[in-house]
Amino acid sequence: MSTPGNLYGIMVEFDSASALVEAVRKTRDQGFKRWDVHTPFPIHGMDEAMGIRGTQLPFIVLACALTGLGLAVLMQWWMNAIDYPFIISGKPLFGIPANVPIMFELTVLLSAFGCFFGMWGLNGMPKLYHPLFKSAQFRRATQDRFFIVIEADDPQFEAGKTRDFLDSLGGLSIEEISDDEPGDAGQSTED
Amino acid sequence: MSSHHVPRLEDTKTTLDGLGQRVFLISGVLGLISLAITFGLGMTRGDNLEHFAFSYLVSFAFFLAISLGALVFIPIQYVTKASWCIVIRRLAEVISCVVPFMLLMAIPVFVLHGRIYGWADPVAAAEPAMAHKAAFLSSNAFMLRWAIYFVLWTGMGWFFWRTSLKQDENGDLKLTRKMENMAGFAILVYALSIALASMDLVMSVDQLWFSTMFGVYYWAGGFVTFFAVMTLVTMGLQNTGRLTEIVSPEHFHDYGKLMFAFTFFWAYIAFSQYMLYWYANIPEETHWYWIRSANGWGKVGLATVFVTFALPFAGLVSRYAKRSRKMLAFWAFWIIGAQWLSLYWTIMPQFSESFVIDPMDLTAFIGVGGIWLAAITRMAMGRSLVPIKDPRLEESLRFENA
Repeated sequence: MSTPGNLYGIMVEFDSASALVEAVRKTRDQGFKRWDVHTPFPIHGMDEAMGIRGTQLPFIVLACALTGLGLAVLMQWWMNAIDYPFIISGKPLFGIPANVPIMFELTVLLSAFGCFFGMWGLNGMPKLYHPLFKSAQFRRATQDRFFIVIEADDPQFEAGKTRDFLDSLGGLSIEEISDDEPGDAGQSTED
Repeated sequence: MSSHHVPRLEDTKTTLDGLGQRVFLISGVLGLISLAITFGLGMTRGDNLEHFAFSYLVSFAFFLAISLGALVFIPIQYVTKASWCIVIRRLAEVISCVVPFMLLMAIPVFVLHGRIYGWADPVAAAEPAMAHKAAFLSSNAFMLRWAIYFVLWTGMGWFFWRTSLKQDENGDLKLTRKMENMAGFAILVYALSIALASMDLVMSVDQLWFSTMFGVYYWAGGFVTFFAVMTLVTMGLQNTGRLTEIVSPEHFHDYGKLMFAFTFFWAYIAFSQYMLYWYANIPEETHWYWIRSANGWGKVGLATVFVTFALPFAGLVSRYAKRSRKMLAFWAFWIIGAQWLSLYWTIMPQFSESFVIDPMDLTAFIGVGGIWLAAITRMAMGRSLVPIKDPRLEESLRFENA
């Protein structure tokens, strides 16, 4: 990706959710890939307005769950029936009912790991620094302002043209965000 | 702050009108005829109505559990101050408030309790193992406890039903607060009473067996079936042009989540009950499972692992399935059948040594179910199917899953 200078992206500011959603739909229809929206609170329908595809996270969790389930069976079979066979209270060396609690626990444990760390991975976390933090205006994203940011990494990004487009959205202000630490921009549109 | 179009209550039909009269008549008449056939079949068996009593008990316990599921669903919504459910809460209310009517339906069980329960048989009750239970498991104590259960359940159901109807008129916020204040207490009373009632109604069919898990086992089966019934009732109303705008795929998604969760919960409880007895291997505990693993019953028991747990679990795990109307309807029907089979497996081996489903079991199902549905329809007739002035209605209309 060509990044002109140290430009991270261009940010446009709105003062209401309804104005934002309208602008978001227009941005989506332009076909941008690397862009994001920042709001003080969750806005229902934003995923749809942004055209975000469903998350891949459930498949990661399912894979982890099946791994946990299989691992639990294998582990108990190996430990109890093969490696150290020992009859306990007359039960079979490999008895499914006795193994179910571990199967359940390992399924849940690996699913939870998959869900938690998978979410981090898909969101590009942990991320201790973000170029947007340098914008004084952006601080109001946690209070009463709504922002759209198109990243310079976007294949369609052309500094002048993209700025003109953002101008046409009718926001309160527009700001170019620079990035002093090149190569640090992670993905950001995955939820 | 939603970008979506928010449906308006005024655009939607929220009364049963002519449909109510038709469903009431059809299901009521069908139910009465089926019960008459069941009774007739029972008379021909020449076993003093013992088979009839067992067939009836399975269906009675099944439909009672659904209404009892509705009965606790409502205070749970108040105690959590939930808003998603407001548009469908009235449906749960009508299902719950037929509980007093079920006392009438319990009469055959009371009259024939001598044929069903081992403890009511003088010979079986004289066993040494019964000595310390005799006072609790006796006809008088049994009837007295049922009187208490029904007083508690009726009081609880009618309190939430009446107060909710009153709010339809004046929209008073204080009524919501009043119900929220009572909800926690109601859940507590409910939990204790249904635990004991399930032991009386179902567990004591085998007077020697005991399981401290049994109350939760019976309740969980009824609770998941309740959500399946809610799904089908809501769809039925929508297919006839009622509640169309206001109940959205988002609400059905929640039905799906609840069916999914309580399918698992039921299996968790059923297995917990099984595994401890399997592991300890003490004859007085395992004989219950011994009877249920012989002569074809074992195959049914094993089948329920898949039919009642694994298949609906796998079928409802994805978000897509929960939001697909057809798949949700399929699994709702499936869960109703599967839970009935599990309850059948819990009760029937005490009567029949080998597994067989008698025509009487099916007619009893249609009979009790038909009358139960007629009673529910009767309660809903002439009323709004939505609590129109609930303070959280607006939130419920806007509800979206994250």
